[in-house]
Amino acid sequence: MSVPHYDLDVRPILREGGEPFSVIMETVAKLAPGQGLRLLATFKPVPLFHALGARGFESSAREIGNGDWEVLFTPAGSPAPAPQAALPEKDGDAVWPDPAREMDNRDLEPPEPMVRTLEGVEALVPGETIAVLLPREPVFLFEELRSRGHAWRGDFEPEGHYRVVIRAAGADPAS
Amino acid sequence: MMGAALSRWTMAFFAAALVFFVAAQSLIVAGYGFPAIAIEAPETLVLVHMVTIGWLSLLMCGALFQFVPVLVARPLVGARLVLPALILLLAGLVCLLCGFLQLSGVIDPPLSPLGPASILLPAGFFLVIGVLGATLWYGRPLSLPARFVAAGLASLVATAIIGGLFALQLSGFATVGIDSRGTALSLHMSAGFGGWLTLTAIGVSYRLLPMFMLAPDKERLSSRAALWSGIAALLLTLVAAPVENSFGGPGVATPLAGLAALGTLVFYGIDLVFFYRNRKRRKIELNSRSALGAFGGLYLSALLIACLAVTGGLGQHAPAVVYLVAFGWLSGLGLSQLYKIVPFLTWLECYGPVMGKKPTPRVQDLVVEGRDHVWFALYFAGVLAGTGALLANQPALFRLAAAATLAATLALVVELVLARRLFNVEGSMRLPAGTTQPRLFLPAPR
Repeated sequence: MSVPHYDLDVRPILREGGEPFSVIMETVAKLAPGQGLRLLATFKPVPLFHALGARGFESSAREIGNGDWEVLFTPAGSPAPAPQAALPEKDGDAVWPDPAREMDNRDLEPPEPMVRTLEGVEALVPGETIAVLLPREPVFLFEELRSRGHAWRGDFEPEGHYRVVIRAAGADPAS
Repeated sequence: MMGAALSRWTMAFFAAALVFFVAAQSLIVAGYGFPAIAIEAPETLVLVHMVTIGWLSLLMCGALFQFVPVLVARPLVGARLVLPALILLLAGLVCLLCGFLQLSGVIDPPLSPLGPASILLPAGFFLVIGVLGATLWYGRPLSLPARFVAAGLASLVATAIIGGLFALQLSGFATVGIDSRGTALSLHMSAGFGGWLTLTAIGVSYRLLPMFMLAPDKERLSSRAALWSGIAALLLTLVAAPVENSFGGPGVATPLAGLAALGTLVFYGIDLVFFYRNRKRRKIELNSRSALGAFGGLYLSALLIACLAVTGGLGQHAPAVVYLVAFGWLSGLGLSQLYKIVPFLTWLECYGPVMGKKPTPRVQDLVVEGRDHVWFALYFAGVLAGTGALLANQPALFRLAAAATLAATLALVVELVLARRLFNVEGSMRLPAGTTQPRLFLPAPR
């Protein structure tokens, strides 16, 4: 299972003013199944989190000094390599992958919106996200997501309902 | 974007409330207090405060400790004060009831229990107001139901202060110079029934009804009008009328307050019709159906007050009006919503941890609606008969009617206990791995 991460250092390209995106994507295409990518860059490559998140990679970034960053892209479902940012307050600025699924739970009587949302969340692989429309701010759902370690972001939509995006945590300690 | 946890002591508030409700009705059936003896007799005061503080206020406090955090989407501020509040309220109420028993000559303690009651009860209520008020304060801007609750809590301040002064005066510990049978009594009653219990109940219903019937719950103009006319009615009654009275004014504040209260009922009625008509859920559950009995009680009391005011019989028949408001409207709504809230919170407490991972029973599976609608029908029929018996001055018939409401209440209490025990859930579904049986009314150990 533990295929070592493929190392890619794009700092020389960046220092010469080059654009490493195509190199990175070519490298990703050549990765073995289940293999991750260790990327070294001169900045935190936030747009990449999104691009690779859409391809099923979880990202974890850390600053390694001199303004340089090491980012681990791990295929979702593989053992997590680094301490995971699971709580909403810890990963406020990270880019999440596009929702793997959208649910409309607005016209259900309580507690069905919460039940179906949690069913959707439990069906995700770690790192995947789900977007859910709800009739109102789901305060009991938040408590349950918190106790299960899932992260969420949500707000009221102009039409009056609530939209929440939930990102599945790693292994659930409660199960 | 914070969550709201299950309120730990809400079930204990509900349990204590139901004990007082059953006890008060048992005393009525036994012929204790009004109408066998005078309305202002200490025995009647025992009954009245068992119902208003013991049953209705404890029920409302327990519900609000769960409901207010949901309304403002943030945890309760000072949650550790909830249990002390319950203990203060229970101790204060026991002292108050003992004080009335002493006045009636049943017991003879060396010191009047009304003295400690005058401290303990307001202290308990102020703890409740402090916790709920702070939670609302940090949850601003407030939604419409939350603003109703805030107005209700402000009225509770007035009710508790006046009540505390009454108890202090009657205890003989201090001369407060307050007439517990005159204007102050009507202020105490208006603030308690009209402000604290009715405004809060209306606020709670503005969220619960649309939620469980899937009706649109965007804030409407009529809802805001209901709130503001309710607040106007209270200010006119509690502030303007006494001020006008003391300056010998023309006496316009009280009729204006009546008009404003009527406005609240009209606007609230418009919203109720809107909720029931525009619900997406065609077949509504028993809690929403039985709530119709409570709304009937509210509008019937308004009609009764109007008729009695015209015929000049309001003073004579005030007990019938108070009974209909307390048992038809407030208790009816309380029982009908308990029938939903208790199974819902029990279900959430028990099955929340495995939700989405394992199949769970539905909330409806915790109760058997088919047999319970009979009890609600019996309850409201009993209230109607009881009101009629009071109006017709038929004490024996009133006791019989009270026996009907008592039987219905006991049956519903049994159903709530069965719901807490998950008795009606099919055995194989009852406790899947990862769940624990909720306790009857104490919080789960942390």
